[in-house]
Amino acid sequence: MKRTLCVAATLVVAGCGIGGTDPAAPVDRVPELASDQQVSIVLESYNFGQAGPWTDTFTELIDAFEQAHPNIDVTAQKPQGNSANPATDTISSLQSQLTAGHAPDVVQLGFSDLDFAINELNAAPLDDLVGTDAVRANFDGDTHPYADSARTLGDWNGKTYGVPFVFSTPMLYYNKTLFAEAGLDQERAPSTWDEVATAAKAVTDATGKGGAYVDCLTKAAKDWCFQALVRSNGGRVISEDRTRLTFAEQPAVDAVTTMKGLVTDGLMPNLTQTQAVEAFSRGDLGMILESSAIQGTFLKGATGKWDLGAAAMPSFTGREAVPTNSGAALFVFASDPAKQRAAWELITFLTSERAYTTIAEKIGYLPLRTGLVDDPDGLKSWAEENPYLRPNLAQLDRMEPWVSMPGTSYLQIRDGMMEAVENAVFHGADPAESLRAKQDEVSDLLPDGDR
Amino acid sequence: MTTDTRLRRITGHVVLTVLSIACAFPIYWLYATSLRAPGDVHSLTILPWPLSTANYAAAFANNDVARMLANTAIVALLSAAGQLLVGLLAAYAFAAWTFPLRRTLYLMFVGTWLVPFQATMLPNYVLLARLGLLETLAGVIIPNLCSALGVLLLREHLAGFPKELLDAARMDGRSSWNILWTVVVPVIRPALAALGILLVITAWNEYFWPAMVLQRGNAVVQLGLRSFMGTEGNDWGPLMATAGLACLPVFVLYLVLQRHIVQAFVRSGLK
Repeated sequence: MKRTLCVAATLVVAGCGIGGTDPAAPVDRVPELASDQQVSIVLESYNFGQAGPWTDTFTELIDAFEQAHPNIDVTAQKPQGNSANPATDTISSLQSQLTAGHAPDVVQLGFSDLDFAINELNAAPLDDLVGTDAVRANFDGDTHPYADSARTLGDWNGKTYGVPFVFSTPMLYYNKTLFAEAGLDQERAPSTWDEVATAAKAVTDATGKGGAYVDCLTKAAKDWCFQALVRSNGGRVISEDRTRLTFAEQPAVDAVTTMKGLVTDGLMPNLTQTQAVEAFSRGDLGMILESSAIQGTFLKGATGKWDLGAAAMPSFTGREAVPTNSGAALFVFASDPAKQRAAWELITFLTSERAYTTIAEKIGYLPLRTGLVDDPDGLKSWAEENPYLRPNLAQLDRMEPWVSMPGTSYLQIRDGMMEAVENAVFHGADPAESLRAKQDEVSDLLPDGDR
Repeated sequence: MTTDTRLRRITGHVVLTVLSIACAFPIYWLYATSLRAPGDVHSLTILPWPLSTANYAAAFANNDVARMLANTAIVALLSAAGQLLVGLLAAYAFAAWTFPLRRTLYLMFVGTWLVPFQATMLPNYVLLARLGLLETLAGVIIPNLCSALGVLLLREHLAGFPKELLDAARMDGRSSWNILWTVVVPVIRPALAALGILLVITAWNEYFWPAMVLQRGNAVVQLGLRSFMGTEGNDWGPLMATAGLACLPVFVLYLVLQRHIVQAFVRSGLK
């Protein structure tokens, strides 16, 4: 832990010298590559940090890209770092390589890093690099356009900087077998938090196992799903103009208080994120609100032992649930025009219908070109075999973006907020006091001081 | 034997038994998990049943485990050998020779031990990038060829070396280089062995620096371990299988050299 903090501090200091140019400044249009113009680029993606279908699928896609573009050579690499989850090392890895003067040309970064990647690390504006028409044409695709809610997730001040690549939404997974033992309807998942509490009590009383776990309430979970809870209760964690933190306002306090109630009533066990995922996989937990990206782990644990069910994120009574997205987009950090053009070619390939078909079939990620799931030549048969897909896709219509915090201290703001949430829900602190104190504290970290 | 003595002895054995179980249980759990069927890896039963080698098959299918182990052995042995050689030469100079600013230079040398890795990480990384040594095993090994710990320990050991032996060797007309290898090294061999084993184990377990240098693949076993952890959850079965395999060379080293290691540590005063 100490080492991680030191590394973060070192990189933040190092990173101070990286940003500085105006991200709104236009960038020259890059010319098309000549057919015999050889270019080598580096792709950094956390998918290469995980063995199995992740590395294999993306390696396969890179091979296919190189066959289609024999003049472009792609070297794939994972982020540097010592975190258990390579996705959390993306920014520090990019910063250290920028410092060393050899940044990767295309980088897969989480949406939480959007502000920092654009305003401090100078990700290239794609509208300037290749033209707005080309960017729009890529989103429109050959036959299946991007879902409307996904197209602008990598935008900043009207320009596209990142092309959304992979993401998931928060889903309520439940153990149908435990539901049956508790006398609950296996085919009807709770749709509100009140119903979650009722079902959790029934499961706990009947089986002695854990009721429900909401993986949005700890520092380890980051804030993407917590933002969904707050949005679902009519609030925000930061004002729309991004100048004021609002996670201590009443909607957020009420959402945290509801979650704390599940713990104090003995319906939500006090577990870490990893413990909760393992307990649910083992069949020792009735429900879990979790990223759809973890579904494969649940399916593996359930096979032959218990039945897995999936439903949309529950709402607060009288309101509609507002899911947010986790996930990442592809950004260009190349400075050489030829590499920038090659980087764009790679991005268009990796976000094509063909690539999304491969990625969905082999990894299970949500295809952002949603029309593919109704295309017999696309993912129709795969979607029919995957009963958990539809509720996930249905959430895209009302999905709102995972908002990144501003400034160079965005991670401290985010982590501070989640520490306050965790202290309130799991460690007995008063929600209103805990959130207020932390909001006052981390507001000083906003770019223009205390706001 | 009095009742008090017997009670103390029983209490001591009970405490040691509990501590032994506490130390050994995580290792048992590692191998037990690696031998569970893939669908049972989250099971909390003490005995893994039915036994399965599927996790080992998955580990080998997803990573080139043999190559990772070989690369890790190369890194560990060369890093340890380099640190031992540098440590021996530096300690010999500081202990057997008198020269201006000797104590100051020694303190400066040892003081580098207090500089945290994080402070030297980026300069080392930038230097390797300029030398074109990123993505190579040499890039992992070279910045670790010198260890202030080795110099410190060996210098302290040599400080107690009988000066009469060195003087006698000089009177015999032996050169300093000859004295080092024919007089000093044979006497401090237990300390060298103990330090060498310590350095090999440390280098074998090193994770962070290889993760900085080797981004394009899982060239060493500690990086291969992390490849089973990720955004989509942890694949504990192959992870434990690979961890079990990574532990084996160190276990074998210990079993083969058990008596020598314990004697060496006791005689050299290393902890």
